Amino acid sequence: MDESLIITETERNQDWRAELRKTLKNKNRTAIPRVKMPEVDPQIRNKSFIEVNDGLSEDIAIREAQRCLDCVDPTCITGCPVGINIPKFIKKIESKDFAGAIKTLKETNVLPAVCGRVCPQEVQCEKQCFYTQKLKKQPVAIGYLERFAADYERKNGLTSTPEISESNGIKVAIVGSGPAGLTCACDLAKMGYDITVFEALHEIGGVLKYGIPEFRLPNEIIDFEINQLKKIGIKFIPNFIVGKTISFDDLKAQGFVSFFVGSGAGLPNFMNIPGENFVGIFSSNEYLTRVNLMGAAKPDYDTPVISGKNVAVIGGGNTAMDSVRTAKRLGAERAMIIYRRSKEEMPARVEEVKHAEEEGIEFFMLSNPIQYFADDKGRVKQMKVQKMILGEPDASGRRRPVPQEGSEYIVDVDTVVVSVGVSPNPLIAQVLKDINISKWGTIVVDEHKMQSSIEDIFAGGDIVRGGATVILAMGDGRKAAAAMHEYIQQKVKQIF
Amino acid sequence: MNKIIDKEFFSSNVFKLVIEAPEIAKARKAGHFVIVRIGDKGERIPLTITAADPLNGTIILVIQCVGVTSKKLSLLEIGDFITDVAGPLGHATHIENVGTLLAAGGGVGVAPMLPIVEAMKKAGNRVITILAARTKDLIILEEQIKQYSDELHIWTDDGTYGNKGLVTQGMEEIIQKEKINQAVIIGPAVMMKYASLVTKKHNIPSIASLNTIMVDGTGMCGACRVSVDGKTKFVCVDGPEFDAHKVDFDEMLFRLNAYSEQEKIAYEQYLKQ
Amino acid sequence: MINFNSIDDVLNFAIAEEQAAIDLYTLLAEKAVNPAVRKTFEDFIQEETRHRDKLTQMKEGKKFTLQPSEVQEMKISDYTLAIKPSPDMTYADALLYAMNKEKAAFKLYTHLAARTKAPELKKIFLLLAQEESNHKLHFEIEYDDHVLNED
Repeated sequence: MDESLIITETERNQDWRAELRKTLKNKNRTAIPRVKMPEVDPQIRNKSFIEVNDGLSEDIAIREAQRCLDCVDPTCITGCPVGINIPKFIKKIESKDFAGAIKTLKETNVLPAVCGRVCPQEVQCEKQCFYTQKLKKQPVAIGYLERFAADYERKNGLTSTPEISESNGIKVAIVGSGPAGLTCACDLAKMGYDITVFEALHEIGGVLKYGIPEFRLPNEIIDFEINQLKKIGIKFIPNFIVGKTISFDDLKAQGFVSFFVGSGAGLPNFMNIPGENFVGIFSSNEYLTRVNLMGAAKPDYDTPVISGKNVAVIGGGNTAMDSVRTAKRLGAERAMIIYRRSKEEMPARVEEVKHAEEEGIEFFMLSNPIQYFADDKGRVKQMKVQKMILGEPDASGRRRPVPQEGSEYIVDVDTVVVSVGVSPNPLIAQVLKDINISKWGTIVVDEHKMQSSIEDIFAGGDIVRGGATVILAMGDGRKAAAAMHEYIQQKVKQIF
Repeated sequence: MNKIIDKEFFSSNVFKLVIEAPEIAKARKAGHFVIVRIGDKGERIPLTITAADPLNGTIILVIQCVGVTSKKLSLLEIGDFITDVAGPLGHATHIENVGTLLAAGGGVGVAPMLPIVEAMKKAGNRVITILAARTKDLIILEEQIKQYSDELHIWTDDGTYGNKGLVTQGMEEIIQKEKINQAVIIGPAVMMKYASLVTKKHNIPSIASLNTIMVDGTGMCGACRVSVDGKTKFVCVDGPEFDAHKVDFDEMLFRLNAYSEQEKIAYEQYLKQ
Repeated sequence: MINFNSIDDVLNFAIAEEQAAIDLYTLLAEKAVNPAVRKTFEDFIQEETRHRDKLTQMKEGKKFTLQPSEVQEMKISDYTLAIKPSPDMTYADALLYAMNKEKAAFKLYTHLAARTKAPELKKIFLLLAQEESNHKLHFEIEYDDHVLNED
């Protein structure tokens, strides 16, 4: 049997858990309806960057925790990319051991305050919940509870310092301070390694800071978590572009024995349609970076942003939702989503789509821009949109959107945000001539060890997957840390 | 945080800063730039590295006051710190012995041109340099660039220094007199547009160093995108130098002016304080 | 305008077009900087060679029973800027280029089919058009899945 399964079973059989299960019959547990997350009123929140979800109070969190049946076979764990011991942390909440809950979370998840907010639980843990699978009811609100525990720690200054092995003085370099890099750094630091995280931007956090808006993930939460990492000795060096500021060889000469590349999928994809370079047409990266990272929405910050009255955001993922909801907050009268496929196929988190609808975002499905027009100053003023229909499934089983001839129409727009997808940052592949990269520019790695074709270089997150989620990046960081540890120890043995 | 080691004004609004940046100084080649930010609320702007001293770990930036951030930089003193300096960014200039090089620099474009001229001279080229600006006060780095030029011609729109006229006139005169193998053109976008039309007419291969708006400078946002030969390129990672005859300067001019209203208002407000 | 007097004329023309494509892709494969892009062009060469060989076999009298069923059109290529191939192009650009090329070939054969009166010639052109369209769809699906992954 898998080691982790044995542990979860053993822990489930502990006295406190068994006692807790007896305090409420299962039929009473399942009668409790799923908690509704308190949210700021849509018409208020769509004019400010205040966080939309208020979070659960203690009583409500405990109530929700009671719904969890503490299954013999916790299928929820199989849905979690980093294998959090979900029943354990939930039962800790139920028994009012909030400190214990956050400690449990941090055993496998470095950033629970982040994941509780941004994970697509509906396709991960909550999808595998017994309620969803067998009872055909709404699952336990695992994400809300994870957030509750993390917020509790932060607000009450609990900060549990994890156990750290004795320092071994071996230097490891982490390239990129996004979720993959932070997770790898934390795991290796706990094992006693001397960790330095190099970040190209001036702020630490990668996409967490520049990509995800304040109203979903406040920056102060990320800063709190980063401070925890600094406390365990991890060094952060911003404004440092590995491959430009310094070469990998020079870093090796400085004593770094292994590298984790978590440089992300920061390259924005454009659609290559006529007029796409007009003023007022942005990549979602630029638009969000100006607002989230550079404070463009705040009057006392120097960086400006162009965001007009009629804003169209092209795409249907989380980034598109973030962009269109930001546009609304910046004063758009019409904030529109233009998406090529149908609503059911939108890759965005269900909650984000719901929040967007409540905030007054207009959704145009099966629609595709084909050209932009500008005024005499080169500022976009209109776009031509073509309607699509879903065709028959092709060989891959997917119904493809097919353009409808003659369905073109004109929409007035003064700002467009292109949010159709991102590609890996090409810099690392350019400077490491021998590294194996895929046709899409991602670094090819062994899927278990996250090791690249260069033995001392490991990689994870979007640089390996293309644009994906925070939690998958974190899972990669964990795998890589374990494999790097093994690799380094072998090398050390060879030397002595 | 990067400390300012030295500062000097070349004219009322063009100045030089020598900044501590050991890693950047070591990695820097001609053509590279840095992204600079002052204060937590500051914006990120690109500035070409005019020179670097790897031994002392310093880089030199030559800056013209055109807006809030450049003005803030001009008010910093020796011993002050710049909050963020990141680099070196962009591709280094391709240096080669081509024969005779015509270097046309407009206004503060001379600052990024200086390292290129120096490197090309050292590579064995014959270098003919034109410095052009609206008026005498905006002609900078004359002594420094003279060192690396076989011929130096100065043109001002108002005739207050050197020849009276536009850079394009100066270029035509030189091209009539001798065979030019390659041109490098750096300056305001309008100047680069018309200067490259001159070299295109005479079939002289030309490089322009583009000065678009940037936010991150590392290729992740696309604010700096330009059309080169019909393809979209990012100045920060594909440039900053491109084949001058293939750049869509008109599109670049539109994009450069995207924030001109906001920038003007912000600058006026800042100067009032 | 070329006049076709016989099926052989048609097939010779098509074979020459396919050969031109093979030559172009061979050149691009040689120059490609990214090994994965090079592999893509090499795959294109194989497919165009198959086309060329199919046409040659057709010419030598072997009968084919392929039914020209309708092929779904996605038309992403109709609305993207035509790009010129270059050795340093990305895979995404290579796909766009191939889409445009195949679209042009498809249009050519469809156009010829419409103008031809002889039913046998018409059928051959429609067959060729369908082949090119299949090819284009293949590239469009790749582009759709990887570049426009959030659209």
